[in-house]
Amino acid sequence: MLKTLVEKEIREIIGSPKFTYTFIVCLVLILLSFYSGAVSYKDNVTHWEAAKAENLQSFEGIKEWYRVQENRIFLPPQPLATLVSGVSNDIGRTSNIEPSGEVTADDSRYNEEPAYAYFRFIDLEFIFLVVLALFAIMLGYDAICGEKEKGTLKLCLSNAIPRTKFLMGKFIGAFSVLSISLIISIGLGCLLLPLLGVHLSSEEWIRLGLIVVAGLLYFGLFLAMSVMVSSFTQRTATSFLILLIIWISSTLILPRVAVMVSGRAVDVPTVDELGYQKAMYATEQWKSFLNSLDNYTPIENEDMEEVMANFNKFMDSISIAREERMNIYRSRLNEQRYNKELERSQIAFALARISPSSSLSLASSTLAGTSPELKDQFYQQAKNYQTSLKEFLNEKTGMNMGGGFIMTISESDAPEKDPIDPTEIPQFKFEPESLSKSVQKALPDFGLLILFNCIFIAGAFVSFNRYDAR
Amino acid sequence: MNENNKQVILEAVNLTKKYDDGVLALDNLNFAIYENEIFAMLGGNGAGKTTTINIFLNLLEPTSGDAKVCGVSSHIEPLVVKKNLAYVSENVMLYPNFTALQNLDFFSQLGGQDSLTKDHYQEVLIRVGLAEQVHNNKLKGFSKGMRQKCGIAIAILKDTKAILFDEPTSGLDPKAGYEFIQLLNDLKGEGKAVLMSTHDIFRAKEAADTIAIMNDGKFLMKEKASTLFDKDLESLYMQYMAGHAPQPASEGV
Ligand SMILES: Nc1ncnc2c1ncn2[C@@H]1O[C@H](COP(=O)(O)OP(=O)(O)OP(=O)(O)O)[C@@H](O)[C@H]1O
Ligand SMILES: [Mg+2]
Repeated sequence: MLKTLVEKEIREIIGSPKFTYTFIVCLVLILLSFYSGAVSYKDNVTHWEAAKAENLQSFEGIKEWYRVQENRIFLPPQPLATLVSGVSNDIGRTSNIEPSGEVTADDSRYNEEPAYAYFRFIDLEFIFLVVLALFAIMLGYDAICGEKEKGTLKLCLSNAIPRTKFLMGKFIGAFSVLSISLIISIGLGCLLLPLLGVHLSSEEWIRLGLIVVAGLLYFGLFLAMSVMVSSFTQRTATSFLILLIIWISSTLILPRVAVMVSGRAVDVPTVDELGYQKAMYATEQWKSFLNSLDNYTPIENEDMEEVMANFNKFMDSISIAREERMNIYRSRLNEQRYNKELERSQIAFALARISPSSSLSLASSTLAGTSPELKDQFYQQAKNYQTSLKEFLNEKTGMNMGGGFIMTISESDAPEKDPIDPTEIPQFKFEPESLSKSVQKALPDFGLLILFNCIFIAGAFVSFNRYDAR
Repeated sequence: MNENNKQVILEAVNLTKKYDDGVLALDNLNFAIYENEIFAMLGGNGAGKTTTINIFLNLLEPTSGDAKVCGVSSHIEPLVVKKNLAYVSENVMLYPNFTALQNLDFFSQLGGQDSLTKDHYQEVLIRVGLAEQVHNNKLKGFSKGMRQKCGIAIAILKDTKAILFDEPTSGLDPKAGYEFIQLLNDLKGEGKAVLMSTHDIFRAKEAADTIAIMNDGKFLMKEKASTLFDKDLESLYMQYMAGHAPQPASEGV
């Protein structure tokens, strides 16, 4: 019986013109997103490699390690960002690492190419979020009220089929048609990736698979919601209108409102405010540093080497102390801001998750490694890199690098030194989050998507059981 | 429950339906339809005919009383009842993008007949008067009468003890109307109980074994067709509707 209903549903959908258009649009958009994602990934890789080479180049001709005052590191492009761009285009991808001082990142893609920032890229996530939801609505809005309008509902229900089965048939039929067309489209897109020079590791394939599962759950819940709305409305036009309003609010309005509300709820100092405070403190510290310098009396000694060593030692001691104080102050401010920021984003995400679109976005960007946490991950790893760079330079120069003066003697008749080998500088290697950790983080959102599915399916059953089928 | 040892198939027991807005659509209605019997409900618009049928189909709950099929109440065990019921609506609507045969196939399977073949469908379609060349046409090109014929074919294929027809002859051309009466007689011969609502006094008299005149949810008259045999049903109907119940021994025409 269920089989009959499902078969009929599939046949009816496939035979309808709306399906043909839906499928073509779905296929074209998905292939387009794979294509444009792959092209932009390759651009990013070229860009990234050029930037790294240029950075190495900048050390050319340097003969003294102490002249290496900074090294630039770059966040490598992630292949899955081609499909779920998340924040990957918004955050800074380059960081100037000095042995001491603040770590910041800039040069985001959207900063460099504002036109893209304005229109954003079409990625798979966007297609899931906006287009797939719309298709689910198109397939589901007339599930029940459409049968009533056609006049077939009464005849169907004059047979000995439980209403739940009838509804199941509708749901399973529509779900299988769209998920099969989706899987075909995505499958073709996946075949396209290697041809376009994007190679995913097996772990990335798993991530992609999970993203598709999240997309299907999202599609399922929109379908269930559409079927639910169609089973408490009498007319297809009403049902479609209600669903359009829900669609727009949940994909476009609710998540933004949530971020706005959380912005009001938690006051986070701006980066500029913090910068000002830090600068004030730095000036203060600098003054006391110069004071201590004034009070320095060079030792009486004939041996220049010893005078110099003594000075450098003194210098080290005061600059290390200053640096430490600044570090403590800075990290206190940063931490305060970070905690506030975290609180705000937690409120924002919690609120935004009223809309399942947010759950899909968060789950898929977490799996793709492009969630808002990417910024933190880069920052943390850049900070760790700073430490290793500092250790490296300290070892090379035998001095404490950064934050003071260094006295050197230039001996004009000294033998010509060989230039430094810049490849000795420690390499920055970005470690993406492990798969199991990403999955763990995405799990609550999967749970929410499943929960929404259950709620809407249950809602559809309840309202169809009370539906006036005459 | 016996009339000449025949089994009661369709039965209304004190059937009452009051809609939420207060309209009393059925007022303590009682009737029994036996196997091999055609029962015609005549009545004006809003008399309560469709309401009666909808209660049998469990699309409506009775306010009180029972609509029973083979002794089972429709609102208590709707699935059992629907197994024994076939239904043809006043304006048959089928899936417009399916062909006649596809529609028949789907509805037969829903009706629990899953061993039927294309030959069965074609045979029945021809029997209800639908020419073979349109069997593979999509329903969206069908006229009202053609759809009506498909609806009747679906009811026949379901092969149940009882059939409910809501104004079955509306939309049928005279020839098809005539053939429909033949068909009803065939079905009756197969032992079925038929409840039919109609505005067509002529056809009712021609086909029915029992005729009821309904107004405001009540039967004003319920007679064996044989006793009406020599009477002018139309003037009788008019008299009832005008509120003058004729004397029991009213003269014939
Ligand atoms: N959903 C409803 N809500 C309220 N009243 C209704 C509803 N459906 C029908 N009625 C009322 O119930 C009464 C009987 O209606 P019903 O449809 O059974 O008449 P009918 O005999 O089938 O008429 P027709 O010959 O026009 O088809 C009418 O007075 C009608 O107005
Ligand atoms: Mg009616």
